[in-house]
Amino acid sequence: MKEISELLFPEDVLYAEDHEWSKIEDGVATVGINDYAQDQLGDIVYVELPQVGESFERGDEFGTVESVKAVSELYMPLSGEIIAVNENLEDSPELINQSPYEEGWIIKIRPDDDNEAEELMEKEAYLSFLKGDD
Amino acid sequence: MSKTTPLHGLHVALKAQMADFGGYDMPLWYPAGTRTEHLAVLTGAGLFDTSHMAVVMITGADARELLQHCFTKNLDRCVGKKLLPLSPGRCAYGAFLDEAGSVMDDAIVSMINETTYMTVVNAGMGNTITRHLADEARAASRAADIHDFTDRVGKIDLQGPRSADILASVLANPAILQEPMPFFSFRGHFDGYAPEADQVRLVNGAPVLLSRTGYTGEFGFELYMDPSRLGDSWDLIMNAGAPYGCLPCGLAARDSLRAGAVLPLSHQDIGDWPFINHPWEHALPFTEDRRGFTKRFIGDDALLAHQGTGSFTLPFAGFDLRKVQTGPQTTVVDSKNTVLGTVLTCVTDVSIDRVESQILSVNNPDIPQGFRPRGLCCGFVRLTSPLEEGSIVTVKDTRRSLPAMIMKDIRPDRTARRPVREMLTSDDTHSHRVSNKSKH
Repeated sequence: MKEISELLFPEDVLYAEDHEWSKIEDGVATVGINDYAQDQLGDIVYVELPQVGESFERGDEFGTVESVKAVSELYMPLSGEIIAVNENLEDSPELINQSPYEEGWIIKIRPDDDNEAEELMEKEAYLSFLKGDD
Repeated sequence: MSKTTPLHGLHVALKAQMADFGGYDMPLWYPAGTRTEHLAVLTGAGLFDTSHMAVVMITGADARELLQHCFTKNLDRCVGKKLLPLSPGRCAYGAFLDEAGSVMDDAIVSMINETTYMTVVNAGMGNTITRHLADEARAASRAADIHDFTDRVGKIDLQGPRSADILASVLANPAILQEPMPFFSFRGHFDGYAPEADQVRLVNGAPVLLSRTGYTGEFGFELYMDPSRLGDSWDLIMNAGAPYGCLPCGLAARDSLRAGAVLPLSHQDIGDWPFINHPWEHALPFTEDRRGFTKRFIGDDALLAHQGTGSFTLPFAGFDLRKVQTGPQTTVVDSKNTVLGTVLTCVTDVSIDRVESQILSVNNPDIPQGFRPRGLCCGFVRLTSPLEEGSIVTVKDTRRSLPAMIMKDIRPDRTARRPVREMLTSDDTHSHRVSNKSKH
């Protein structure tokens, strides 16, 4: 297991308690799971993605990631409509392990409410949360 | 607070993901990841720390008689197709049952000499089995001493087709690999003072009990040794194994390897119910007509009373890699949604996939071009009535319903039983062969 200090937590994304990250640019939030989550899960072998056009509330389950260890739910960090899913994950789910913030992104959302992002954590707050969580 | 094996610091230094298993903080996987580790054991080699398992020694004039009374396998009829008696250097798989026929634990019994037997049980079970055997010895005044060697014997498992090549370069006497050493046999001793100790030593001097067993379904060895020798022996084997693609492997790969090989996990696939109607009946001493047993042992009457009734444990394989979570909410249902039973084990064997109607492994000698398995979910179900091989059921948890086929076997082309000399590709042993033969 990697120490938290060895994991990558970029400054330019926001973090949710369920270990998803969101990067908001031009009114679109790109969402994935962070380096801590992928390290805990181990080899990711399958990803269940939502349909483009579906809408979810914040906290709703929108899919699953299946690792060798378990099937884990993915939760919406923000309410909104799914406008894209990462289809590369279908054949290469390991992209989430290899590149959780870039090639391993999972969905893009058009958020319903700009204010919801304020509930997400910046890196430092998330790291404090994580250290308390462990 | 979990216990640790002597290799714990090494696992942490290797950045393994650790988790509790049987009361020990054990590596689940290393940075290579479970898929890579599992595949390494099919195509190269993998090294596992299995020192959490417990060794119990049974000595004395009545040691064998005690084991015949407590262990399911008939030690007088168990070696090879001819069912010869267990002899020094041979081992057998079976279980220790209670009077109800339920499993206390499964085990391998190894015969060291006429009055010395070793049994290996699961993590945390050393004390239970030691007390059970001691009670049964005392109850009938059997001359047998039982010693719990929990944490006093270390074990590492070198598994995979290149295991013999790797051993050839770390054994002080690699010529021993040219001698017959069939599946379920062993040489040497972990105790340097034992007369057998000089049969097998590593080049670092460590005396080793080297056993042609494992829990992966693949060719390989278990190496029992003094716990103080584990660290340098692990390093020695890993260094020698590097050219052969040997990787440290964790419990997750061990679990998926054993499930595909149709091997049970004690207290999960076998446990608190009668040890019968399952794929491991070779561990029971059935008579030829299968209506009785060839010896008496604890739990025998209860087993016969449950033969063909009660519950039935069967292997299954899915149609893709998706799993269901095991647990009380997970059921096996038929096409009318009638509950047939429960799921005991469900994991993904990443080295197999379905090609048309067949399951193929990466070790298929006629592997189709471009075959890159994504894996198949597989494991064991426990049903209230038996089903034929090939029957289709649905395994169902709170999230998913997946089709699954009842199987007799799961991962094809396993290497566990291949002869050592067939697997040796290096010449390291040959220079010793002549001098060794002259001894016989």
